[in-house]
Amino acid sequence: MNMELSRRGFLKAAGVGVAGTTLGAFGFADLEAAQAAAIRPFKLTNTMETRNTCPYCSVACGIIMYSKGDLRKGEMAEIIHIEGDADHPTNRGTLCPKGAALKDFVKADTRLKYPMVRKPGSDRFERVSWDQALDRIARLMKDDRDANFIATNKAGVPVNRWTTVGFLAASATTNETAYLTYKVVRSTGIVAFDNQARV
Amino acid sequence: MTSPNFPTPNAASEGRVPAPPFVRLPDPGSLFEGRRQRLETLAQTSGLAPYLHFVAGLAEAQRRIQDGLPEPKQPLPEALARAHEFGMPPLDRTRIEVDATLSETLTRLFDAALPLSKPTEAQAALERVRGMTAEVLAEIVRSVLADSIPADAIAEHAYVAAGLQVHFTRLVAKLEAEKLVRLGDSICPSCGGPPTSTLVVGWIGAEGARYCSCSLCSTLWNVVRVKCILCSSTKGIGYKEIEGGPGTVKAECCDNCRGYVKILYQHKDAALDPVADDIASLGLDLLLQKTEYRRGSFNPFLLRV
Repeated sequence: MNMELSRRGFLKAAGVGVAGTTLGAFGFADLEAAQAAAIRPFKLTNTMETRNTCPYCSVACGIIMYSKGDLRKGEMAEIIHIEGDADHPTNRGTLCPKGAALKDFVKADTRLKYPMVRKPGSDRFERVSWDQALDRIARLMKDDRDANFIATNKAGVPVNRWTTVGFLAASATTNETAYLTYKVVRSTGIVAFDNQARV
Repeated sequence: MTSPNFPTPNAASEGRVPAPPFVRLPDPGSLFEGRRQRLETLAQTSGLAPYLHFVAGLAEAQRRIQDGLPEPKQPLPEALARAHEFGMPPLDRTRIEVDATLSETLTRLFDAALPLSKPTEAQAALERVRGMTAEVLAEIVRSVLADSIPADAIAEHAYVAAGLQVHFTRLVAKLEAEKLVRLGDSICPSCGGPPTSTLVVGWIGAEGARYCSCSLCSTLWNVVRVKCILCSSTKGIGYKEIEGGPGTVKAECCDNCRGYVKILYQHKDAALDPVADDIASLGLDLLLQKTEYRRGSFNPFLLRV
């Protein structure tokens, strides 16, 4: 805002000093000073509002996640509330009961945070590293594909089907991720497949 | 089994939630009355009570002087069409003349403000604007409409701004909302003015949507949330409030332009008013003065904070 003095010199005409704020100009400067003194012991807190996509289904509703703490300043942030994104054209702020309970999903004790495996015959899941998990998945998929891949049908027409494995991918992805997922999975021959690209 | 009286669904909104309206134009009658009530309510618990009572008195004057006031002259249809064609606001602030209606509006407001209880500085400034020639008054009007208030005459300009708020609110109330188009995040689509603050509303059909409130004509226009309205950045937006507060008034701080504009969560507290609560939350501005962020909104009753 432009804050130069007036050309007409109202200052001189009025015989008063430069008043500071509107409060000062109206003669409430003492109020402003009192307010400043009263507020001094208080601190500011920061909330972040972050857009994201609900991870549940392929409708892909927009959500706003509220968190306390300022990641920009190197602090830890903690999600305190999640609600529908009113600006999102898909859901306009609305959420289904599952989406409305997303905060409990984020904070659930049983939430899966790393790869786990339940070995054959075992009664419990064990934590494994991503390398172990990916190696094991790749090994099992390769073995299964080698055993069950259908290159041609009875008439001898090439079909290249792999029907013994299914693949379910996430909804909270971009078009590009969805496209790549589709291309990777389909090119192995997997038929039982679903992800965001279907919508 | 369809009865002939069965309502026909609106094909356009079938199966989807309708988009919130782009603008909501003010009702000059109820606007200032609502503001007065809110200011009086806030004054009951605020340390700024004397100032809030004074601004409430001005809001009361802003409502009362409208009775019997001649209708303001609307822009010509050609001017409206031209503004629309070139993406300009329909009310051209640089071409507003101090005609009989505006002059009458200002005179009535000054007269109505006379009996208000106020400090001697406010009274002296009021006496000065009352005694001004038409030429000087026109110059002040131009400064207010340019959002350029000289630091040595803030009170005089604030009185004139209060009168202009009445004039412009009555002007925009007659505009056709569906013809208004988005001109920019921080530019009022009716008069081109900057916002006082922004509101997250709880209106039916627009729950949780954010609206900017024009500092001059009180038009409300929709801007998506989590976006700096000053520089249109969506990165690094934080919401600061006083620790332990109710979470209804926050400052939307942008790390890109280092500006902030207050955001009022009206869907949590329907009583929040874009001007009254901006003034009453002066404490938040005072705390933010110590940070790297600067105030980016315009409120004639809270200049230079």
